[in-house]
Amino acid sequence: MMYYQYIIDYYNEFPFLVRLIWIISGILFSIIVLLTIYLKLVRSFLRRKDKEIAKFKDDYEASLIEYLYSGNEQEELSEVQKSIILKLKEEVPFKSKRKIIISILYNLMNEVSGEMSDSIKILYYETGLIDYAISRLSNKNWYIIAKGIGELTRFKIDETHDKVAKFINHPRSEVRKGTQLYLVNMFRFEGLKFLNTLSAPLSEWHQVQLLETLQKFDDQQICDIKPWLKSTNDTVVSFAIKLAQIYNQFEVKDVLIELLSHKAKEIRVSVIEVLTHLYGVEAKDMLKANFNELSLDEQISFFALLEKLVIPTDEPFVEKHLFHKNFEIQLLALNILKSINIDKYMGLTNLPKDEKSPAMLKLVNTI
Amino acid sequence: MDTSTVNIILQFLHYMFFVYACSAILSYIILSVISGKETIEYLKKNSFVNYKDILSSTMAPSITIIAPAYNESLNVVENVRSLLSNHYVNYSVIIVNDGSKDDSLEKLIEAYDLEKVDYIVNEKIKTKPLRGGVFKSKNPAFEKLMVVDKENGGKADALNTGLNISKTKYVACIDVDCLLLEDALQKMIKPFLEVTDAKVIAAGGVIRIANSCIIRGGKLIDVNLPKNLLVQSQILEYLRAFLLGRMAWSRLNGLLVISGAFGIFDKKIAIEVGGYDTNTVGEDMEIVVRMRRYMEEKNEKYRVSYIPDPLCWTEAPDSYKIFISQRNRWTRGTIETLRKHRKIGFNRNYGSFGLISYPYWLLFERMAPIIETVGILYFVILIILKQVRWEYALSFLVLAYLFSVVFSIVALYSEELTFHQYKKKGTGYKLVLLSALEPFVLHPFILYAAIRGNFDYYFNKKKKWGEMVRKGMSTAEV
Amino acid sequence: MDKKKIVLAEDNSTLSLLLKFRLEKEGFELLMAVDGKEAIELIENHNPDLVLTDIMMPFFSGLEVISHMRNKLEVDTPVIVFSSAGQEEMVLKAFNLGANDFMGKPFSPNELVIRVKRLLS
Repeated sequence: MMYYQYIIDYYNEFPFLVRLIWIISGILFSIIVLLTIYLKLVRSFLRRKDKEIAKFKDDYEASLIEYLYSGNEQEELSEVQKSIILKLKEEVPFKSKRKIIISILYNLMNEVSGEMSDSIKILYYETGLIDYAISRLSNKNWYIIAKGIGELTRFKIDETHDKVAKFINHPRSEVRKGTQLYLVNMFRFEGLKFLNTLSAPLSEWHQVQLLETLQKFDDQQICDIKPWLKSTNDTVVSFAIKLAQIYNQFEVKDVLIELLSHKAKEIRVSVIEVLTHLYGVEAKDMLKANFNELSLDEQISFFALLEKLVIPTDEPFVEKHLFHKNFEIQLLALNILKSINIDKYMGLTNLPKDEKSPAMLKLVNTI
Repeated sequence: MDTSTVNIILQFLHYMFFVYACSAILSYIILSVISGKETIEYLKKNSFVNYKDILSSTMAPSITIIAPAYNESLNVVENVRSLLSNHYVNYSVIIVNDGSKDDSLEKLIEAYDLEKVDYIVNEKIKTKPLRGGVFKSKNPAFEKLMVVDKENGGKADALNTGLNISKTKYVACIDVDCLLLEDALQKMIKPFLEVTDAKVIAAGGVIRIANSCIIRGGKLIDVNLPKNLLVQSQILEYLRAFLLGRMAWSRLNGLLVISGAFGIFDKKIAIEVGGYDTNTVGEDMEIVVRMRRYMEEKNEKYRVSYIPDPLCWTEAPDSYKIFISQRNRWTRGTIETLRKHRKIGFNRNYGSFGLISYPYWLLFERMAPIIETVGILYFVILIILKQVRWEYALSFLVLAYLFSVVFSIVALYSEELTFHQYKKKGTGYKLVLLSALEPFVLHPFILYAAIRGNFDYYFNKKKKWGEMVRKGMSTAEV
Repeated sequence: MDKKKIVLAEDNSTLSLLLKFRLEKEGFELLMAVDGKEAIELIENHNPDLVLTDIMMPFFSGLEVISHMRNKLEVDTPVIVFSSAGQEEMVLKAFNLGANDFMGKPFSPNELVIRVKRLLS
């Protein structure tokens, strides 16, 4: 008691600053103690959850497989299937269990098709999982809405089309993108209508996702991509060019040739690339005429096009550029020359060293 | 000089130390808060992202992994196999054998059925010449692999060779012994593809410490906390630095360094700035600063992004000798880079890069060890002269210590809530205990290494990168 | 009559279980592997009648498994590979290395069973 009093007296003699510091130190110390205790709680909670998840996962997997294989020949569900549905229905209200079930179902949806995936879809409906996904759409947090849309997309739920479509102009871009993916998943090319009026930029990531979604469906009629090629939104144009390449849209070649004078360099370069793919010989002559005005990237792409579409009359042009200042073009020119006039190409090897281009010097070992 | 002037000078010095310490602590607090917000936002944004589509897409951009290797014979075959098993579709691997004196090349040729091929290298960056040449596999299963054998030129030179040879838009520069998780590439490439209002020039990730972790078949099976106190402290240090520091800098677009162990770059820009600098020991920091400077000078909007997910696991030094030598090198690298680009500092033409990032790094990273050492010396002098006001000194020391512990625990806490890698029972306690010990176990050595680094930089020009000698799981610098 | 042995290499646990169930119902004996290394071990030790393998697997890919079987072990055990759609290049490589059949994901397990039976008859 006296000792305690002694410390207090000692403390009170300190200058103000020092007292303040000790107070702050005291606060920090209590924070440390609190955080430590909390940390321990968080960790044991997480550990327990992990064990539960592992156990439930095995349990649900087994149930699911049993469900999938206890179907009978008729359309309706068998007794075994119905009882499994009931069992799962009771688990679904619990968020963590729901998450596990959904991830197992989703894992399988990706891998199997046909009657199996239809069965899975029926399970999704009957257990009420769909209702939870739909309820997410009314949540006020954008990332919850996005998760809901994602889930409905993955399980290919088209009944909710109207509910989801209204998010197409949501202020948050992640929600808009999720909606776009949903629409494309449900309606394939029809779902791309939003491109007509899209003013926000389409990121590469999103473009790849859209393309992947489209690719999942075979034998389909691609719609008219000309309006998108003429869009004022450069990313839409870029996307349309990718579509032209993947779906071999020879019919849009003239529009593409017009795009060779687009104001954005990246677009001009990708147009040259797709024209290579589509055998755009008309473009070849145009570009040849304008060659010196092209940017370096366009020139390199043009030579790649030339490599594929070269004809003997192009020889003088190719020869002229054997000594182009860019190494890559030199190399391409040499390779093209090799393919159209092997003798002249071999003749180059006999040139004295100081008359050779850097590319020729490098090639000397491989001839 | 009379006593009152001396007193005034001393008071001034006290205030300066005080101001420095307070601003350092304040900056840590601000950075932690920003980091927290950025991490939460990142997790929200990515909670529903479907990475699987990108990884299996042939339309995802191609990435070349460049991994320089020097005398890595012991583990090189396994490491390469691990690199080849990434789940990304459009990527290839270039192993640059930087004039190894061991049998790395022979082992690779045998394991992967390699044969020499003719390959024209477009030397956009000048590098040391090829030695054995370029090798590719006869087996289509290893089509992604290319091994380049060249004359020794150091890590930067090897990376530059990789830059010259690669044909893809993006390159990932990694240490060959780094374990890359299967989805590392698609997570790291995401910022490059997603950001539409600026050009992403580089992206870096968190480096996790793999000591004592069980890695089998190139896959991370089990995460364990190593018993070695030094390694444990480094784990804590990395968690603090990455979770509470780098995330904030990423948000402020002020990242000055991307770990040399794993980073993805826009190849065109990397080549346009001239590739890695072979005359510095901190080539990973220097190229990022140079790329940033280039974009600033061009006045184009750009970003250097940062991914907090654990994607890359690597071994940390487990002996004090190697640790000090590593930190010594980092110090010299920082000094070299900051000096080389001193034009940027406090220069309004370089925007926040020049006005915030550079000064911060100068004051709180480069100068910190010096100021701290001066402070300690000063304190010692005061003790000798019996001039110490112990009630002040003691209270400050306790406060500083407690701050450090709090930061560490906050870092641990954010780790639990985000990526939760250390799940085993009892690890939590150990890490908390570590927070209390770390200021004694790690910090003094970092300080010592930094001072040695400064000394070596200014007075010992003969020190270079040094050969890395592999001894099984740990590296010793020769 | 001896049951025909099938080695299945697939790292998706749910799918694995599903296929195992289905194939065992058809009267086959299933040996399961979760990565290419395990698959090769099983193939070497048990000499199966058929191998089903995913291409994307940790460490040793499905392609390596095929390559190992055809070039190192020199067995002509029929191999069916499956893979996520969009990897045409992989498919070609697989066939070049000696795979007998290919199924893109998502696939119908029923169809898989038909193809398995066809290759084993």
